[in-house]
Amino acid sequence: MSVTPPAGGGPEGGAAPSSTVASRLSTNLKLGGIIAPLLTVVLAFFVGGLVVLITGHNPFDTYKAIFEGTGLQWLFPWTTGADRTRAAINLQQTLILTTPLILVGLAVAYAFRAGLFNIGGQGQYAVGAIVAVWVGSSFAGMPHLLHVVLTMALATLAGAVWAGIAGLLRAATGANEVITTIMLNYIALWLGFYLFQLHGPLQNDTQPDVPISNDVVPSAKLHVFWGDPELQGLHIGIFIALAAAVVYWVLLNRSTKGYEARAVGFNPEAARYSGIKVGRTYVLVMGTCGGLAGLAGSMDILGWQFHLATNDLQASTIGFLGIAVALLGRNTALGTCLAALLFGALVNGTSVRNLDPAVFDPELAGNLTTIIQGLVILFVSADLLIVWLLTRGRRRRTAPATGGAGETIEVTA
Amino acid sequence: MSSSTTQRLAGALRPQRGAEPTPGERPPREWWMGVGGIVVAAVAFLITLPPFEVRSIVPSIVLTLVAVGLGAIAARAGHVRVGWGAIVLAIACLAGAYGATQSGVGHLEVVVSWGALCAAMLRYATPLTFAALGGLVSERSGVVNIALEGMMLMGAFFGAYGADKTDSWFLGLVIGVLAGMALAAVHAVWAVTLRSDQIVAGTALNFVALGLTGYLYIDTYGNQGTPDNLPAVPEVHLPTDSLGFIGDAISDLNLLVWLSLIAVVVVWVLVFRTARGLRLRSVGENPRAAETVGIGVYRTRYVAVIISGGLAALGGAFLSIGFVHSFTQNMTAGRGFIALAALIFGRWRPGGLLAATLLFGFSSALAQRLPEFSANLATLFQALPYVLTLIAVAGVVGRSTPPAADGVPYVREGK
Amino acid sequence: MTEQSSPSAGAAELALELRGITKRFGAVVANDGVSLQLRRGEIHALLGENGAGKSTLMSVVYGMAAPDEGQILIDGAPVTVASPKDAMAHGVGMVFQHFMLIPVMTVAENLVLGAEPRKGGLLDVAAARRRTRELSERYGLRVDPDARVADISVGQQQRVEILRALDRGARILVLDEPTAVLTAQETAELTEVLRGLRAGGTSIVFITHKLNEVLDVADRVTVLRRGKTVGTIDTAGADEASLARMMVGRDVVLRIDKAPGNIDRSQAPTLELDDVHVVDDRGLPAVDGVSLEVRAGEIVAVAGIDGNGQSQLIDAIAGLRAVSSGHIRLRGRDITGCNPLEARDAGIGHIAEDRQHRGLVLDFNLSENLALSDYRRAARFGLIKPGVLVARARRLLEEFDVRDGSPGTPASSLSGGNQQKVVIAREISAEPDLLIAAQPTRGLDVGAIEFVHRRLLAERDAGRAILLFSLELDEVRSLADRILVIYEGRIVGELPPTATNEELGLMMTGGGAAGGGARTVA
Repeated sequence: MSVTPPAGGGPEGGAAPSSTVASRLSTNLKLGGIIAPLLTVVLAFFVGGLVVLITGHNPFDTYKAIFEGTGLQWLFPWTTGADRTRAAINLQQTLILTTPLILVGLAVAYAFRAGLFNIGGQGQYAVGAIVAVWVGSSFAGMPHLLHVVLTMALATLAGAVWAGIAGLLRAATGANEVITTIMLNYIALWLGFYLFQLHGPLQNDTQPDVPISNDVVPSAKLHVFWGDPELQGLHIGIFIALAAAVVYWVLLNRSTKGYEARAVGFNPEAARYSGIKVGRTYVLVMGTCGGLAGLAGSMDILGWQFHLATNDLQASTIGFLGIAVALLGRNTALGTCLAALLFGALVNGTSVRNLDPAVFDPELAGNLTTIIQGLVILFVSADLLIVWLLTRGRRRRTAPATGGAGETIEVTA
Repeated sequence: MSSSTTQRLAGALRPQRGAEPTPGERPPREWWMGVGGIVVAAVAFLITLPPFEVRSIVPSIVLTLVAVGLGAIAARAGHVRVGWGAIVLAIACLAGAYGATQSGVGHLEVVVSWGALCAAMLRYATPLTFAALGGLVSERSGVVNIALEGMMLMGAFFGAYGADKTDSWFLGLVIGVLAGMALAAVHAVWAVTLRSDQIVAGTALNFVALGLTGYLYIDTYGNQGTPDNLPAVPEVHLPTDSLGFIGDAISDLNLLVWLSLIAVVVVWVLVFRTARGLRLRSVGENPRAAETVGIGVYRTRYVAVIISGGLAALGGAFLSIGFVHSFTQNMTAGRGFIALAALIFGRWRPGGLLAATLLFGFSSALAQRLPEFSANLATLFQALPYVLTLIAVAGVVGRSTPPAADGVPYVREGK
Repeated sequence: MTEQSSPSAGAAELALELRGITKRFGAVVANDGVSLQLRRGEIHALLGENGAGKSTLMSVVYGMAAPDEGQILIDGAPVTVASPKDAMAHGVGMVFQHFMLIPVMTVAENLVLGAEPRKGGLLDVAAARRRTRELSERYGLRVDPDARVADISVGQQQRVEILRALDRGARILVLDEPTAVLTAQETAELTEVLRGLRAGGTSIVFITHKLNEVLDVADRVTVLRRGKTVGTIDTAGADEASLARMMVGRDVVLRIDKAPGNIDRSQAPTLELDDVHVVDDRGLPAVDGVSLEVRAGEIVAVAGIDGNGQSQLIDAIAGLRAVSSGHIRLRGRDITGCNPLEARDAGIGHIAEDRQHRGLVLDFNLSENLALSDYRRAARFGLIKPGVLVARARRLLEEFDVRDGSPGTPASSLSGGNQQKVVIAREISAEPDLLIAAQPTRGLDVGAIEFVHRRLLAERDAGRAILLFSLELDEVRSLADRILVIYEGRIVGELPPTATNEELGLMMTGGGAAGGGARTVA
């Protein structure tokens, strides 16, 4: 009865009260400002560059070649002429990639705020894409607006349900959402394979030899407002994504549900004591996150992909990039958007389409992106290090006045 | 006043307090009846398979009813897990029996060739076993190791690469293990010294390993892939071919398969029967208490995490140079997480973890053979290990508690 | 009765001496030039309020913290104690307030941890058992080697800790608040054990903030206040008042005058508990048939030793825990089985026991924390206007005299006393019919305690019903109109606030007028 080891955490239960993920990341935000994320990015690219160097390539040329493919030069007023036109096309591609990244990043960020780690963005995105391609390729006669709205709504719902499973399991049984969402990722993948493989239930009606879905009917495609639709111009989905970021901010900072999510994220015990239903919050938060990721899936399908092949499902890594996006953006609306832009640019710059294989093999570059993505997350998680570096000597450390004998005097963050 | 829906659901899913036999206590009769129900349910399915091949569904129905009855009695008496386990299993087995009686005997004999199935089960289980043992060592010291997947992948690539470059499977294994340990060392620094969130750091390392192995793979082998003559870990040939299906199963297993089984015993002895193991577990349960008796918490955790990396890498190396004889990007495909689930399922004990990995291995083995029936359904069946993991982690089958200080970074007082 | 032991012959050899120990944590000086002299074969008490620096000092002695300045001398020779291993090598053993045992392991395993007997590479379990039994007999401390630590009583756990320290050859034993979690019976046993050890030549330091213990057990006492040594005196000629004065620096007001109660008996009681049973996390009965009443305008205090069902009882009333049988009524309305939100809406306020973990979200600022109880009411269409919350917060912070904080300040940067004021402000501002106050002044300095007491009395005078749970008997007597004593999950008796410590203590440990175990309905 009186032997009290420090509050246990770990895979099966909730976090120790004073060190939830949300708490530490918020500490990070307050103390690091904009510098910490910048530092993180620089450090990650630096280490990535080291890998490039050690394996016998030139990191400067590599990064330069990648940058040229991103289209970000279009933002610089000194880029003109043919360069500008090409940069415009590249920037459209980058923004096309940024769109779902914003949404999936928010899907991870909101979960983090509530103290949950949503690694299932990939599965939730996939489920949304599957539903989107199915609804989008059916109902050929439906009016455009209705068709688009219906598709997006159902895709969002699918993603919400997919994540909701993990949320429900966490709420009801304490099952750690890290493992359940990862499992759901794989289940979604195999579900997709099953549906679109040869002779699968949703496989293409007109191409029996290709494991691909039906095409989305033209009435459901999203309108392209910048660039040439034939060359995959930028569709209006970007505005939906930005709107979602605004909604996220309002939800988090101005709504009762967001308040509850934050309270639960910082201190589930105190939240429970004040009447907040912690389990229900978990389910709602995961559902919201899944919905955002599912919406991202529908954005891509209706915006530029227009069909889904088993290969697409296999190769897609959007959900995982979302984790790096959210963490780099410190789980804020603005940060997520900026981080999504960064990673969208990175993925575009390293794509087969844009990267000159003579300078650097795109497959290598793809893996380099993954390494950088991992490093970003790694450095963000070392908040202690960065915070310590930034704040040494600048702040007073207060010993808690609860001097119970034997209690550790901890540095209060 | 009503309680919330999730609370009620939680109540239904959680076993009742005081209803499970406590360790050491003799389980009452109803609990045994529940176990009997599980056995009868399994029999209901087994009789329709080779070598019995009963073609009528009637005996299975009868046995299923018996199993359900036994399960209900157990559940009514408060033994929710065995009781409901028997009932659910009975229904599943009846479905299986139905499927078996409906399909051709020829099909059945191809798929359910027990000897081959068991051998495959052991092969599929081996990487999981190694990784799960690694997870056990790490978590028993209080550090959550989500990066088992990444460490496995490091072992897989560097095992293949090392074997290729040194032309020796043994040195390949050594290099693979060292690579896994290197990744684990980074995890240790982040988890123990920097006290970062262990799950976030572990996830990060998974990506780093994925990208790094993929990058090095493309850079080294480009489009051709790993060479066909990759040195392979040898198989152990036992003259037991004629000793029934078990003899058949074990007659040609890879060396690492045997090693994994030996490792289970070794880890058990080391962690639960030696003084070092006692110290390891004390660090995972109450690190401050361990510190006060002079045990170095940081050092113990570092060693534990690095060992776990080595074990996981061994599992990955088996995949590349013992099983598939090549390396492909992301070839571990989530096995590290399934291993983690096996660990939880096995209640952080080597025996339980082995049972779990064998179960997952069996489901993978079965999934390989199902295209015999229906190629499309077989695809869906590939998701089974992940579904099983989901069920396992949800604690429906077994709710277990991790080491008390698992996942909590340790702060040395006063320094 | 105080026992006088003769100091060691002649030279009064010092087993342990601390000279000028200073330990800083950032800007806070926990120990400021502290000196301590422990004679060989004496029992020495280290007395001080919460936060005086007692535990820090002993951490330094045990090697868990490195002193910034000062010297440690053992048996006259200066030593460096860099880790618990060093401390044990020098013969220092420590028994912590929060036991340093592994609950899932057996007594024998815990005892040998760190110095395990081995046989052929494996842990020699039989030898461990033998060693445990030998030690147990040698020192007269009964323990069962094969019992799991999680299953044995607190007193027994403490014995294991002491045995372990002795096993490592401790000649100097340090005990940190050893009686904080013991029953009176166990405390008496411990006193005997300590006296026995002293007779055997062990030198003992024990940390406490309880004045009566110091006079009972110790030969001499050193008083610390705010990190500095106030003085060292023999306990023979001392009394509680003089010790208290040394501890606090001024005459301590132990009671606040309160007006006589103003209770309206014609109304139904605000809170009624009717044969309530609650089980704890392990399924064992924690509240075993409690019936009580609290009326508007009175403070009912529940006194008892920690771990007798108070936490579970509070949780049940507040809706945080299920009631297995029985009924809870608030103003006549049955609220058994409510969830926490429903309980709050029904009119229950709850000043939680642990303000940092349960009362506040430390990462929230003050206005967000203050909103925890009624953010729903401040919302329109699910949206919250921060301006409204901030204005309300400002008003409350002023009313409750919260210092060093504005609505935007994070709660983590406030002192304990101010944090508690925020919690109290929040709970009271929701105008509950019943206010549960669980250890409301734990860890607070005297000024904050006074504030809390005055406020609770003011609420009582204004007609609120207050159910107080406290371990501090002075607080209980000072505030309560009626005192209920809880023991092993039952209310074993009711006493008026004029009851003595002895009467209360007796009832709290199972003895007393009601014959121990019988229920008294208030």
